[in-house]
Amino acid sequence: MLKIENLHVTVAGREVLKGIDLSVEAGKVHAIMGPNGSGKSTLSYVLAGREGYEITKGRITFMGQDLLAMKPEDRAAAGLFLAFQYPVEIPGVSTTMFLKTAINAVRKKRGEKELDPVAFLKLQKQKLAQLGMDAEMLKRGVNVGFSGGEKKRNEVLQMAMLEPKLMVLDETDSGLDIDALKTVAEGVNAMRSPERSFLVITHYQRLLNYIKPDVVHVLAQGKIQKTGGPELALLLEEKGYAGFYGDGEAA
Amino acid sequence: MQPAPLAAAALPWLADAAGFEKQPAAGWLKALRETGAEQFSQTGLPTQSWEGWQHTSLRQLASIKFHYSAEAATSDAKKLPPKLLEDSDRIVLVNGQYQPHLSAVPAGVTVMGLMEAVDKKVAGLEEHLVSVGDLQASPFKALNTAFVRDGIVLKVESGAEIARPVEILFYNIGAADRAPAVYPRMLYWLEENSALTLLERHAGEGVYLSNSYTGMVLESASRLKFYKFEEESPAAFHFSLVSVRQGKGSVFEGFSYASGGCLAREEYQNQLIDSGILSSISGIYLLKNHQSHDFTVLMDHFEPNGKSVQHFRGVVDGQARAVFQGKIHVRRSAQKTDGNQSSHALLLSPQAEASFKPELEIYADDVKCGHGATSGHLDEAALFYLQSRGIPAVEAKALLIQSFLNTTLEQLSFAPVKEIYQERIRAWLSQ
Ligand SMILES: Nc1ncnc2c1ncn2[C@@H]1O[C@H](COP(=O)(O)OP(=O)(O)O)[C@@H](O)[C@H]1O
Ligand SMILES: [Mg+2]
Repeated sequence: MLKIENLHVTVAGREVLKGIDLSVEAGKVHAIMGPNGSGKSTLSYVLAGREGYEITKGRITFMGQDLLAMKPEDRAAAGLFLAFQYPVEIPGVSTTMFLKTAINAVRKKRGEKELDPVAFLKLQKQKLAQLGMDAEMLKRGVNVGFSGGEKKRNEVLQMAMLEPKLMVLDETDSGLDIDALKTVAEGVNAMRSPERSFLVITHYQRLLNYIKPDVVHVLAQGKIQKTGGPELALLLEEKGYAGFYGDGEAA
Repeated sequence: MQPAPLAAAALPWLADAAGFEKQPAAGWLKALRETGAEQFSQTGLPTQSWEGWQHTSLRQLASIKFHYSAEAATSDAKKLPPKLLEDSDRIVLVNGQYQPHLSAVPAGVTVMGLMEAVDKKVAGLEEHLVSVGDLQASPFKALNTAFVRDGIVLKVESGAEIARPVEILFYNIGAADRAPAVYPRMLYWLEENSALTLLERHAGEGVYLSNSYTGMVLESASRLKFYKFEEESPAAFHFSLVSVRQGKGSVFEGFSYASGGCLAREEYQNQLIDSGILSSISGIYLLKNHQSHDFTVLMDHFEPNGKSVQHFRGVVDGQARAVFQGKIHVRRSAQKTDGNQSSHALLLSPQAEASFKPELEIYADDVKCGHGATSGHLDEAALFYLQSRGIPAVEAKALLIQSFLNTTLEQLSFAPVKEIYQERIRAWLSQ
């Protein structure tokens, strides 16, 4: 599904990712854990194709294609979805309008038929109910006046509507209380299938109680310091990140 | 007192006014034209050293020789653009001249050509026309006054609430070898307790100058919705001055969509001369290539409990430039005034420019006035967010521009016109 090889990324003149190797197979859930500033969001933005990140070395293949050569919208159409750590507010564009434009743009690129208004509203209603969201929210500007939790739910709603193949969740748990966390996790779990993969990025182990990972990676100082099973997350929770700074460098 | 020196550059502008000498006219009308000509001849066109003209250069306008013609102008009805709204009546002016055979109005509204109204001695008209105010400070108004003849008088009778919208189409036909100057003078007069929705559209073909002066009189408790479409031909010059005089408890909801002409200035001078008045003039502009557009607004509060609104937004592409100058003037007795003003521009290219001049002049102590102005580029974070959801860059940009402009359109209380404006924006974006 996704293969990252020796990825080096420079942001604003500073090397933030210093050689990442990572493979995610279809149907698997990989977690990336790491302290603040370790480059987790940088990795997620590079995957989604944001400008301003200079790839100095390495390559990424997604579903057999050269991901780095693709435009962000083409990555989305190919099945990549990033749930943003900080979802962007877009005043004046209603969430419904935004979802409809996005879903039909993606369907068009995938060679599928565009959804007519009735089919769209039906799908939207069904996904809203699954996530325990209020339809009133959809009339407002995208993320405008949404609480932190509502923004994260809105990310998961978009994900559910766009039916991606690889979902990158960047700290989707931050800012959520325990109930919201559970609904969001249920939404994510409902999408699990043998064809879909997840890259769950988080600072805390908490989310991984609800979205069970197959593989856990520790990212620190721009590199994957350790890879293991779910037990690695528990170890991190107990001991903190201090032990994972390579070559005895202090945090 | 020393007479001011003649501005030599003013004379060619006035040459065609000599034609009026041979025509019979009431003495006061002749005197009015002469005053306009005399005042204009003292100043000529304003230069950029004039107060209020720093941001708009008239060099391009001065480089063309325009001609005024009193000969009957008309147009093939088939050549005119279709009505903006199916369910509406339309008044047509071609090169400033009223076309009765192409015009209709709903019951409760009367319309006639300006000279017809003068001949019929419509009560109050002479008094209105001669009260032109300071012509030296406003050369375009002086020039319009020197040629006062074309245009219309539109009146809504007391208590009439006109449900059917009225469109006024100003269609201008330019000629390549002889560019016309048109000087329509309008009076829109709403008597007490009346209500009207007006759509004023300016369009045309070729090179011409439209220099209009419109007086709007809103008697007490009357309500006027005024929606303008400045869609002049790409080679045209548009200068309009609108002076709104509002009585007690009246409501003026003005809006202008500006996307036409190569050089344009729309000036609004709203006088809230009594208490409890609501006055708003807002707008959007869509400019590209070498277009230049200027909105200059004065909200003048005379009495207490008035509210004025000016919200302008626009997008500027290519080497175009936008100007917004908005002033709120609160006189000493205008306590509890609420004046609001904002101006935001999106610059779509590195050479695009927007200049703003907000001004507050407040002499009352218990007032609430606010203003804000920004100009910037498209929000990269929002653009990326939309793209990351599969929306192609071009579409994502269009969506962001639409949403940026929609904020201003949302305030409009007449839904059908909002839709036309939105349609205009979509068409502009897909060019
Ligand atoms: N746009 C940017 N400009 C400058 N520095 C940045 C930018 N984005 C990220 N960084 C820097 O890169 C490092 C990694 O940031 P980030 O990927 O956001 O970490 P994480 O998500 O793990 O907290 C930090 O030191 C951060 O300051
Ligand atoms: Mg982060």
